[in-house]
Amino acid sequence: MTENNSVLFLDGNAAASLLQEIFVPDISIAEIRCVACGFASTVGSLRLYAASMGAVLRCTHCDGILIRAVHTRHGRWLEMTGARHLRF
Amino acid sequence: MIEPAIAPQPRLEWQLAEVRAIVVETPRVKSLLLQVPAWQGHLPGQHVDIRLTAEDGYQAQRSYSIASPPEDALLTLTVERLDNGEVSPYLVDDVRVGDQFELRGPIGGYFVWTVATRGPLCLIAGGSGIAPLAAMLRHRARRKVRAPTLLMYSSRSLEEVIYGEELDAMSRGDSDLRLVNTLTREQPEGWTGYRRRIDKAMLAEVGFPPEQHPKIFICGPTPLVEDASRFLVELGHPFPTIKTERFGPTGGLAS
Repeated sequence: MTENNSVLFLDGNAAASLLQEIFVPDISIAEIRCVACGFASTVGSLRLYAASMGAVLRCTHCDGILIRAVHTRHGRWLEMTGARHLRF
Repeated sequence: MIEPAIAPQPRLEWQLAEVRAIVVETPRVKSLLLQVPAWQGHLPGQHVDIRLTAEDGYQAQRSYSIASPPEDALLTLTVERLDNGEVSPYLVDDVRVGDQFELRGPIGGYFVWTVATRGPLCLIAGGSGIAPLAAMLRHRARRKVRAPTLLMYSSRSLEEVIYGEELDAMSRGDSDLRLVNTLTREQPEGWTGYRRRIDKAMLAEVGFPPEQHPKIFICGPTPLVEDASRFLVELGHPFPTIKTERFGPTGGLAS
């Protein structure tokens, strides 16, 4: 159990606070559908690639990018071209 | 499934938490019991963000799971010192009773279990990944529900088992709670439990079979989470019944 993981992704749930600054209902349990493969999953279960300024959330089925969220001095950016819908 | 999805979340506002007590859990792990004046309650498994601000204005933010059940008045965070960490060495080594820091939450309704959830409960923890699962077990114990529950807990050594006595006592008094410890690096003399990482054979041996439709929560370092979830899928558990919470290298997301 080393702290030095080669696998660098986390679970979507860990991005909840970043995304919750934008959404009103609990984003971590919303359903999201992937444009690329049609797979529906829960936002909290996505693969999260996290950096200090933001997050990329990928489909667990096809690895397509569903959500890109960045928090900069110039505002919060949310890009979801890879997602067909969110259902709350 | 718990469904608070439609209800608007309270705005995530930073507020000051005050340390009211500190419990030494292991040589590298402490629990901080916090008074959070405007706390609105939480569900077992949720986390909070902590933000520390240095004198020069530099801020560092990390996420920590809540280890206490909703029934407790104080909020417990159990923190492991990561030697190259920015936040955890401060929280483990420097924080004293009476100190204050910024906190916001609760966050994330995904990795959540309450007594309203149906079916057996299967909890799998590695190291300090026990924290959110402890919130579930403590909640279950406070409410005296008899949901058949299994905790598989992997630690490097007996010395590093967090909440050891409490978990032992909890399972001794409760025939519906099974506690399976594995010590992966070092075992005391006479240790009769497992002495290897959680593997497929172990999961098959002690886990609930898929026919019983257990709700599964896995929390720990990425390799443990990866292995356990893959083995469980191979054993026939549907992917959506397995919820995972991996530790990141830094333990959280800044924003």
